[in-house]
Amino acid sequence: MSPEILYALRDPAGVPTQPWLFLILGALTLALHLAAVQVMLGTGALTLRGAYSQSSHWRRLAAHMLTTSKIAVSVAIVIGVAPLLFVQVVYDPFWYTSNVLSGWWVIGFILILIVGYIALYAFYWKNHHLASEGGRSGHWMVLSLALLLLVGYIVHALTNQMLFPEQWMAWYAPDGNIEPTGRQLHYSHPLRFAFFIALSLPVTGAWLLGYRRYQQARPDADADYIAWLKPLAMRLLTLGGVVSVILGVLWMLTLPEKMAWFALSPWSVLALAALLVTVAFPLLLGARIDRGYWGYATFGVGAVALIVVCAVREVLRYVTLVGSHGYDALDYTVHMDWYSLLLFLLTFAVLGGVTLVYMLTVAWQAGQTTGRYSPSPALSWMGNLSIGLLGLWILAYFAIGFYVWAS
Amino acid sequence: MEFIGLYPTWFEPGVGSGWIIGIIATVHVLFSHTAVGAAIFFAFLASYAHRNDRPDLLEFIRRYGLFLLVFSYVLGSITGPGIWYSTTVGSPRGISALIHNFVWMWATEWVFFVIEVIGVYMLVYLASRVDRQTHLRLSIIFGLTSYTTMLVIVGILSFMMWPGKADWFTDTGVLNGFFGANTFAQLAMRTAFMFTMTAVVGGIVAAGFKDAQFKRDVARKLAWLGIGSAILGVLFFRWYMATLPETATLIMSNRMPEWFPIGVIGMLVAVAAYFIMTLLQPRALVATGAVAMTLVVLVFGLWPGEVTRESIRKPWVAGQYVYSNQVIGRDVPGRGIESEIPLLEEHGFLRTMVFLPEHLREVTPDNAVEAGHALALAACSNCHSLTPTGMRPLQDYFTADSDIDAIVDYLHAGLASGNTLYMPQIPFTDDEAFALASFISTLTLPVTDTGATVDATEPMAPTALVRSGVEANAGADSAAGSDTAGEAPSVETSGQPLAALVSSPVAPREMNP
Ligand code: HEM
Repeated sequence: MSPEILYALRDPAGVPTQPWLFLILGALTLALHLAAVQVMLGTGALTLRGAYSQSSHWRRLAAHMLTTSKIAVSVAIVIGVAPLLFVQVVYDPFWYTSNVLSGWWVIGFILILIVGYIALYAFYWKNHHLASEGGRSGHWMVLSLALLLLVGYIVHALTNQMLFPEQWMAWYAPDGNIEPTGRQLHYSHPLRFAFFIALSLPVTGAWLLGYRRYQQARPDADADYIAWLKPLAMRLLTLGGVVSVILGVLWMLTLPEKMAWFALSPWSVLALAALLVTVAFPLLLGARIDRGYWGYATFGVGAVALIVVCAVREVLRYVTLVGSHGYDALDYTVHMDWYSLLLFLLTFAVLGGVTLVYMLTVAWQAGQTTGRYSPSPALSWMGNLSIGLLGLWILAYFAIGFYVWAS
Repeated sequence: MEFIGLYPTWFEPGVGSGWIIGIIATVHVLFSHTAVGAAIFFAFLASYAHRNDRPDLLEFIRRYGLFLLVFSYVLGSITGPGIWYSTTVGSPRGISALIHNFVWMWATEWVFFVIEVIGVYMLVYLASRVDRQTHLRLSIIFGLTSYTTMLVIVGILSFMMWPGKADWFTDTGVLNGFFGANTFAQLAMRTAFMFTMTAVVGGIVAAGFKDAQFKRDVARKLAWLGIGSAILGVLFFRWYMATLPETATLIMSNRMPEWFPIGVIGMLVAVAAYFIMTLLQPRALVATGAVAMTLVVLVFGLWPGEVTRESIRKPWVAGQYVYSNQVIGRDVPGRGIESEIPLLEEHGFLRTMVFLPEHLREVTPDNAVEAGHALALAACSNCHSLTPTGMRPLQDYFTADSDIDAIVDYLHAGLASGNTLYMPQIPFTDDEAFALASFISTLTLPVTDTGATVDATEPMAPTALVRSGVEANAGADSAAGSDTAGEAPSVETSGQPLAALVSSPVAPREMNP
């Protein structure tokens, strides 16, 4: 596909804001999506490991991890919507072609996700007393994890097919015969997929450190359980971190020829460094991990590392498409739309910020309270503010809407 | 040579891509409206319970909350991206047009999604662990955010049908595309429907209450909600119809399956009867009945409703400038977008399409059927299945005694000029019309009294097809197959002789954006 053709596929409507903003938001929200995906997979695996254990600590962990995993699926899905949106804005020719070429799998993605999610709930329904009685019907959990992994694999293939315009025609019409059913996934890079999935291990390790710190803050904290959690979390973090890094290096070594430049570029070195810092971080902390809020810090560092990894992954895509294919994702015609941009920024930063801080603080503190929880007056005021902002938003919608309609 | 940016085509030969997209969309509408309606109902109930010191109502919320979470929220939140995914493969340029115009509106909606997800889990998991005031605040936040997601998406859906203001084409700001009469009418209609769904699905949970007095109370509330919202829904639907362009009304009265209006009216009567029954006799509220009602609404209300909404914007798929078959059919000066029709008129599809094997760029007697197949995929298959199954199979519109020349005539007269109201203008060159006609005659076309069947088990060489066509037919105008002629009235804008060809009864339409 020549650059001319790739540009012909581009949507002629242009974009409503400078394209770099979409690239940045895309990488940022993808990092959040992957963090949720990795927590979901890791806690799901821990559930399975713990549910059948003789150890009451393991079973207790399994019960908590099951709830985490269940919520994490929802969070992964909802956050996944954002990169899904942004990738289509600046890479439309690539995203749409890749999807259409595997249309059957794109539909399959949804059905598989539904079954995977329901399987997770089925396991949950069978296991209301996981901690005391141990696990039952583990096949549901196995099925769920397998299907969720398959979902990830489909997205992985779709994302990678984007990068090979030179193959598209051969995929669409092998030997010159059009094959429009989209029944095949055409390209995957198993080491790349393995790398992103393996990151679940260190991410879940860091998550467990935070979980442990959270347990410490409960009035009914169980010192024995808390002590038991630490080596487990550290093992996941360090061993898992090393496994991920090895897979990442192998991915770099097996990059397709046109991307080989990337392996030794400062970009991949940067990502490697970010991951290693995360792995080393709790070791550097030493005993401080049990003091103040340091117990949560590893997950914070890990989140930053994930953002770095996703930004670097975006560099790989951007440079490959501009360098090898002459397509520059940054040169869209801009038809600035201030109204919708401002609406988003205000909704995101002000309304979203206030409301989410309110809700998460309530959830956080309620989880650490025994008995019925009542927030502080200041926090409740913030809740009222959230409601007020939502009301204002709705009011503005109708006021502006009626004005536009009438004029 | 200049290219037009058509993507490859996804074609599902069995069920048909259109049906798959339609089913996902319908299921999503069911779950999402239920979730939003229930969220608002909860906020109301929580506030009522709080003011009147009724912990039993909070119990209702807790029970229905868990149910809502699993039943509608989860499935709604997956099928939502599901619609998006399916329209991505079914109508990439349609969804692309929406995204490139409304990306920030969608991003805004996403903020509400995130709040909603966290809200729904908190409502359920913290129901008995936070004080009532806090639970009430959470309910209100959840209810309001659910509604704001609807406020956003309705503007985009309306644009899909019809840009809010007529001057959007020259002044393409989001506001002009987003807000218009259709937006508000659709919003009112969906809001009413959302409450009907709340009432219907709420019954499934309320049916389970042991406390007879409490159950009666709730059943009454739900019944009044159901009756009131159904009546409002009908009124708003009339308003909505009045905001539609004339073509939409024409298509609606001519092109939709006959059972649709009967189904919808029957559904409304059933809903009203059901609620009157539960109002008079709350004990009649049982879970199986409520589930059955949900299915009735789904099959006889939602499916026709969604199918109709999708159909009446034809031939356009987005903003009245992207055709269903993905060609841009109108200038949008405000964005510097130019219609691709002039380019197609000059060079045709085969020379300008991106995804085409090189050997098909020139039509020859040897490749005509294959080139015709490629053309059918690109220009027709978005609305017409190329196999006997699926949506509006192409083969149903021609008869075995229509020869290639007759089909070519039809393609020129009916499509090239844009004479068919609900079909895009499709300007095939002479070679292309011949190729497509050659392909069409390889399909298993219905036999007429006088005609012989074209054997389509093996694709034939075009020459053989022409010959068998000639033998089998009785003149150019016979392209209007006798089994289709004179059925449904034609809605052509001009009196083309081939009108009957395109006026056979149609299957429900696909659900592209
Ligand atoms: C729940 C199971 C899921 C798993 C295990 C999963 C996993 C992944 C993985 C591993 C990647 C990186 C692929 C690569 O770069 O090679 C990815 C990317 C992505 N995921 Fe997910 N995902 C899941 C669900 C979803 C859902 C439901 C959505 C949409 C709502 C979504 C949207 C995305 C998008 C848009 C990207 C790529 C963005 C880009 O290329 O810029 N994912 N996902």
